[in-house]
Amino acid sequence: MEALLAVLIGLPMTLVVTGAAFGIGLLGGIPLMLGLRSPVLPVRAATRLVVDIIRGVPTIVWLFLLYFGVSIGGARLDSLSAAIVGLGVISSAYLAEIYRGGFSTVARGQAEAAQALGLGRGTTFRRVLAPQALRTSLPSITTFLLALLKDSSIASTIGVTEMVFAATTFARQNPTTAGLTPFFLAAGVYVLVSIPLAIVARRLDSRLTRSR
Amino acid sequence: MNQPLITQSNDLAMAGVTIENLSKSYGDNLVLDDISMTVKPGSVTALIGPSGSGKSTLLRCVNLLEQPDRGTITVGSQTVTAGTKVPDRDLLALRRQVGMVFQSFNLFPHMNVLRNIAFPQERVLGRSREEAEARALTLLDRVGLKDKALQHPGKCSGGQQQRIAIVRALALNPRAILFDEPTSALDPEVGVEVLAVMRELAQAGMTMIVVTHEMQFARDVSDHLVVMADGHIIEEGDPARILADPQEERTKRFLNAVLER
Repeated sequence: MEALLAVLIGLPMTLVVTGAAFGIGLLGGIPLMLGLRSPVLPVRAATRLVVDIIRGVPTIVWLFLLYFGVSIGGARLDSLSAAIVGLGVISSAYLAEIYRGGFSTVARGQAEAAQALGLGRGTTFRRVLAPQALRTSLPSITTFLLALLKDSSIASTIGVTEMVFAATTFARQNPTTAGLTPFFLAAGVYVLVSIPLAIVARRLDSRLTRSR
Repeated sequence: MNQPLITQSNDLAMAGVTIENLSKSYGDNLVLDDISMTVKPGSVTALIGPSGSGKSTLLRCVNLLEQPDRGTITVGSQTVTAGTKVPDRDLLALRRQVGMVFQSFNLFPHMNVLRNIAFPQERVLGRSREEAEARALTLLDRVGLKDKALQHPGKCSGGQQQRIAIVRALALNPRAILFDEPTSALDPEVGVEVLAVMRELAQAGMTMIVVTHEMQFARDVSDHLVVMADGHIIEEGDPARILADPQEERTKRFLNAVLER
C-alpha cells in the first residue's frame, strides 16, 4: 500500500509529460506533414531529412542532448522542460508521418471534386481532405499515444519525477523490503491508464467508420 | 421528377464554351494538339474516341483541372489564356460557371448527402445553411432521392451517388456542366437512371459537354458530336450523321469496336 502510494505520486507527472508532448506533436506534426507533402522538392527533401533524423536518434539520446547539451543564455533547460520539448519534437515527427500516410489514402478525386466545385485551397484542406485523412490515421495516432505514455518513463533518466522515477526512488529507500514490487505496481498503473485510452479510441474509431 | 431540374433560380443565360488552339503535353507526350471547338449556349456536345485520345484531358482543361500549355478557354464572358499562371481569382470565377460530374462520383464520404450538396453552396455562393439545404432538398426530390438526404454517400448505390453528384453540381447554378464518363463506372441498368437525369437537363437547355461511351445517348441527346483520336479532333458534326456514316477511317474503326460488342 505504501509502495502503491509512492508510485502513484509520479502518475500526475507521467500524465503531464505525456499530455504536453502529445499536444505539441499533434500541432507540430501539421507543418512537418505539409513539408513532407510539399510539391517543392527541396522543401520536401529537407523535411524528410529532419523527420528521419528525429526518428532515427533514440529518445534517451535526445533527452540527454536537450538536458545536458542545450543552454540558453547560460541557463540549462530544467528536466521537465527538456523532457516535454524532446518528446514533443519526437512526437511531431512521428505524427507528421502518420498524418502523411492518412492524406495519401484520400482519393485523388476528392481534391479534384473540391476544386471543380470552386472551393478554395484552405477550405478543401480543412473541410474535405483533413477530416478523411484524420479518420484513417486515428488508429495509428492512438497506438502512438500509448507508446508515448510508456516512453515518458525515459524522462526519469534526466530526473523528471514521474512514475518510474517514483518507483526507483521507493526501491532505493527500501532496499531490503521493496524488491520489484514498486515496478510491478508501476506496470499495473500504466496498464490501467492505457486500457481506457484504447477503449475510447476504438469507440471513436468505430463510430467514425459507421458514419461513412 | 415531374418538375424541371432547372428553374427560374438557375436558368440565367446558359454559357457557351469556346476552346481555341488548345495544346497540352505531359513531358514529350502531346495529348492535345491545337484543339479548337465551339459549344453553343444551351447545346449538348458529346466527346467520343478511343481511350488515350485526349477527350478527358480536353474536358478537364475546360475548368482547368488540367493546365493547358497553350490556347484560350472561354466560358460565357470569362476567358482564360494558358501559358501564364492563372490568378486564383480568375480560376475561381471560371469554375463558378462550370459544374463537373466525374466517373467516380467523388462525393465527400465524411458528409451526408444533404451536406455534400449544401456545403459547397454555403462556401462558394455564400448561401445560408437553411437556404442551401432547402435548395439541396428540392433538387434531391426532383431526382427522386429526397429520402437519402441524411444518409452517407457510401450507403447509396452508384447510380444514386452519380445523381447526387449531378445535383451537387447543379445546386451551384452553373452555366455549363462537364460530364467525364458519368456512366462508365455503373452497371448498364443503373446507368439508365443517370442518363435520364442528363437527358432532362439537356432538354431544359443546360450547356453540356459529355465525354461518353454511350453511343445511343450521343445520338439521341447530343446536338453536336466530336470524335477525337491521338490528341486531335478527327471528325465533328451532326451525331446521327457521323454515327451512321463516318467519313474518317479512324472513326469507322472506333465505332465498329464500340458498337459491335
